[in-house]
Amino acid sequence: MKRVAICAVAQHKNESDIWYKRFQGMLLDILEEIQTKTGMDFSEQRGVRSVVSCSDDVFDARTISDNGVTDVLGAHYREEEKIAQEGLNAVGYAMSIILSGHEDLVYLAGHCKESQPESRNMCTNLGYDPFYGRPIGLDFTNVAALQAREYMHKSGIGDEHLADVVVRARQWASRNPYANATELVEKGEVMASPMLCDPIRRLHAYPVSDGAVGMLLASEERAREFTDTPVWITGFANCMDSYFLGDRDLSSNFALKKAAANAFRRAGIKDPKKAIDLVEIMDAYAYQQPMWLEGLGLCDEGQGARFIEENGPATYNVNLSGGMLAGNPIMLGGLYRAAEAVLQLKREAGEHQAADVKRALAHGTTGGAGQFHTVLVLEI
Amino acid sequence: MANKKKNRNVAIIGIGQTEYSSHKEHQNQAEMVNEAVRRALDDARITMDDVDCVMHGNMELFEMVYQPDLWHEIGTGAYGKEEIRITTGGTTGASLVCAADNLVASGMYDVILAVGLEKLQEGHTTGGITNMADPLWFRHLQTGALTGTTAQEMIEEFGEDRAKRAAMKYRIMMDKHACLNPRAHRRFGLEYDQMDDLMNTSPKLVGELRLIHMCSQSDGACVMVFASEEKAKKLCKHHPPVWIRDHITVHREETLPNLFGFKKPEMTQRYAARKLFERNGIKDPVEYFDVFEMYDPSAWWGLDWLREFLLLKGDEHIKMLEEGEFDLDGKLPVNPSGGVTATNPIGATAMLRPAEAALQIRGDAGEHQLERNVRHALASGFGGTFWTVLIMLEKDLNW
Amino acid sequence: MTEYYGSKLEDIFNSMEDRFRPEGAEGVDAIFCYDIAGEDGGKWQVSVKDKELRVEKVEGNLKGCSVTIITDPETFIGVTLGKIDAGEAFSSGKIKVDGDIGLLTNILPKLFTKYTPPAKDVTSKDIIDTVVERFRADKAEGIDIVIGYDITGEGGGKWSVIVKDGYCSVKEGLDPNCTVTMQMDAKVFVGLNLGLIDGTAAFTSGKVKIEGDMGAAALSAGMFERFKVGVIEGAEELISLKCLPSIDQRFATGPVMGKWFDGLKEKKFYATKCPVCGRTQIPPREICALCRVRCTDFVELGPKGTVTLIDDVYYASPDPLTGEVRETPYAGVYIVLDGASEEEAFAHEIKKEDIDRIKPGMRVRPVWAEKRVGSYKDLLYFEIDE
Repeated sequence: MKRVAICAVAQHKNESDIWYKRFQGMLLDILEEIQTKTGMDFSEQRGVRSVVSCSDDVFDARTISDNGVTDVLGAHYREEEKIAQEGLNAVGYAMSIILSGHEDLVYLAGHCKESQPESRNMCTNLGYDPFYGRPIGLDFTNVAALQAREYMHKSGIGDEHLADVVVRARQWASRNPYANATELVEKGEVMASPMLCDPIRRLHAYPVSDGAVGMLLASEERAREFTDTPVWITGFANCMDSYFLGDRDLSSNFALKKAAANAFRRAGIKDPKKAIDLVEIMDAYAYQQPMWLEGLGLCDEGQGARFIEENGPATYNVNLSGGMLAGNPIMLGGLYRAAEAVLQLKREAGEHQAADVKRALAHGTTGGAGQFHTVLVLEI
Repeated sequence: MANKKKNRNVAIIGIGQTEYSSHKEHQNQAEMVNEAVRRALDDARITMDDVDCVMHGNMELFEMVYQPDLWHEIGTGAYGKEEIRITTGGTTGASLVCAADNLVASGMYDVILAVGLEKLQEGHTTGGITNMADPLWFRHLQTGALTGTTAQEMIEEFGEDRAKRAAMKYRIMMDKHACLNPRAHRRFGLEYDQMDDLMNTSPKLVGELRLIHMCSQSDGACVMVFASEEKAKKLCKHHPPVWIRDHITVHREETLPNLFGFKKPEMTQRYAARKLFERNGIKDPVEYFDVFEMYDPSAWWGLDWLREFLLLKGDEHIKMLEEGEFDLDGKLPVNPSGGVTATNPIGATAMLRPAEAALQIRGDAGEHQLERNVRHALASGFGGTFWTVLIMLEKDLNW
Repeated sequence: MTEYYGSKLEDIFNSMEDRFRPEGAEGVDAIFCYDIAGEDGGKWQVSVKDKELRVEKVEGNLKGCSVTIITDPETFIGVTLGKIDAGEAFSSGKIKVDGDIGLLTNILPKLFTKYTPPAKDVTSKDIIDTVVERFRADKAEGIDIVIGYDITGEGGGKWSVIVKDGYCSVKEGLDPNCTVTMQMDAKVFVGLNLGLIDGTAAFTSGKVKIEGDMGAAALSAGMFERFKVGVIEGAEELISLKCLPSIDQRFATGPVMGKWFDGLKEKKFYATKCPVCGRTQIPPREICALCRVRCTDFVELGPKGTVTLIDDVYYASPDPLTGEVRETPYAGVYIVLDGASEEEAFAHEIKKEDIDRIKPGMRVRPVWAEKRVGSYKDLLYFEIDE
């Protein structure tokens, strides 16, 4: 199979309240940055004719959320399709447009402003059925707490381990110019931070964030017109778990394991521990970092506590961007991960650049307690 | 736009629909989806085990469910499968078909099951559409997708009596087609001799856009199964595969009023048709296609857009209508299914177009099956601020 | 008269008096006319004034109608019973309406309780026959009573229902040891059990006479599940949930829409001007979609302009959250403001008084709110510029 390259990425700085800009303005900044970096245009002959966007009607409070941004996506009188799930899936879909032979360039951009609705938990509560899930008050935070409890029991993780994860995330975030929560925190501070939803503390949860991400994808033949350092997509897969929490083994990582296995098979990876040089995980809550790493096979099953104690996250270059814990909007948690992985592979990560990265993995998740997972493998 | 040869050919191998109606209290959303999924799997004679990837599309604010694919999973069968959710407004169903074409042609997946749905009864449709307008400005002025501007322009161009008659003839023709389609939502049994009566007594919505002209609000789901050429030839034993030859999507900017200035930009309908036909070497679409399933949200728009889609000039489209050329036995039958004025579960509506067109090619449409040998079909989607999707279907791998 | 769906036209109109809700008729002064065509049709006039109702069958012409409903018997009965979708009957022209349509959609539903077909199939005996299966032992613990029913008129009879030690039995005739005896007409008995007649009202008005222990009569009501016609037919009731999800939003305006709202305060229309093609955009946009270039230059348009198209709106969409509906008709107009690019119309409303006169090509001017705060409410509407 031919390969598809990510030529360039642009990230809007994540902030808790970008009150001074419409999301249209944020996306225009992204568009201009990609154009400056690559020289891409939208001419009918050789330019971008296909745009993939990512946003959500409920978070935007708009039916057809991509309608408000067609112009700042460059998509006027062009093809545009909106992925209405977490943005890492948009990368997979954009790749298919090129692999299919329909197009050789795709511009991808996503936006989400969590500061706009009164509460992001009210939005995710609407993700549950109106008969049972909503009335009992399920949302993505309290459902994560149920999973956290079960996973912590299984892997021996305690409050201290979670504090370690957060302290480390902030240390790396402070080196990432696009991160939201960049203030360093002490372990004691994390352990004293108020309970949001037992056992999830406030500092265990990603901060409310606004952001936007853009990318230019190109066919193998044309990638070098836009960059000297193309990053190749070699594996993509996702997987859906069941909806009812009672049907799921919440600490089993069923969907993530399946998504990872498929992505690794497509990328020709046999042993992820040996093959992956850097991982960007969508860890919306601290417990998720070790848990998702177990799902990916980088941490042994049920060994989360030991993994943290033995500096596993440093060994595998986990979330050198600060990760989702430093704050991304929920719709773009995985897309930001991919953008960061691309920067690392292009050696453009600046102060948080890792040495010798040849193959990186980006992960994203949608739905309460990881009902849906996406895995992307990138290589130079 | 340049068209490159696809990496591999993609076929439609299964179609499943619910019946469409204004009320489906007997099912919740996931159950409604499941009914169409089962029918599509039965039609393709496969099971969920054969499916690599599920696709899902509808509008979140119509039913007020955030990322409904997560809940609907219990009906779509996506458990343990890969899944892609795409929504683009009214075009959603057609976008799903285009995306399935891309995803299968790319080699990433061999068999895809795509679900388009809406349960409009569970929300307020016109209110939901009004929510597409910018909250800062246009939302206080918009009235859903209702506008009388096209009627006004057509009356200006063709004279009041001729334009009104043509729009009503189009509407009655669609009802006659819908009456042959047992799944269609609204089947009134209108007769052409009611034309004068309806033209004057059907309640006005906006200007000369009357209630009878406008599309319905329906509940229902449509599911299509797609497969690569290799898989399709292996799986399709009971009916022939229908091939997706090409597709094109054309969106335009958000602002709507700038379609109504002193100078009109080229409509996306014509732009899309021009580009698609050019790159596929089709000189005369009326001659080439055997059926056109068009997303016609109202009789006025449907009639007006025929001119754009078929690259006609002046009053050619009105003449063709008057002479019965869009009837089931006409030169180019339009919407044998009854179209959108009869049936409109929005997230599924644009998928119904290629689904119904594919049934015509297969010869499986039932009572509304055309008598001719349908080889080439055109299907359109409409959404957003005058966005267009066009899909070309073929009986044979002829390109 | 022909029956449709088990009802006749007369049944519906004759039951109006019983179904009338004076509390829903507060301040209503209207005459509803029904012109129901065909051999088995007829004309009726339903007048409501000062919480008073008058229903008359009319020979000859209907007069003084606030609103007239024109249809056929089958459609009318079908819609009344919910067997035919009213909206669809209306769309297809099977129901036509002349006059104030708002009376039908907003007022009429409040005036009457729902019509149910006459319960001619249900007899007193049907109800008595199901007493034992409807008995709820859990509600009858420690209760020891005999209830006598003396049902008079057509289909009547005498029965005694014996409740003792959590068991229930029925025997014909009035038991001499009745704790309480209830006497009423068979029609009243059936009506009460079907929920068509209010029990308290029937007792107060003397339609039901009770002898003996009144407390036992009250007690008896709780010991039985309600009699349902549906139970006989084997139908199940489906439940649907009503809720109104709503999440408050705070929308950023940013520098571009911010400029627009600032301008409204000063009665000014600011448009962006594309640095490449010169196109003006109103309301302003961050980018020119055609040239894909950022727009930072603003120009002032209008305030007067020329109308290109008019949309007379007769159906306003309710706000999905508040349910508020704008008054109709109103008219939207497309206006090319002075100084704007010729393809760039601006949409707004025209003054109510100008709706009948407004034509494409006419000149219009904006009318502003007295107090302007930088919101869409600052601009009221446009009016003809004379």
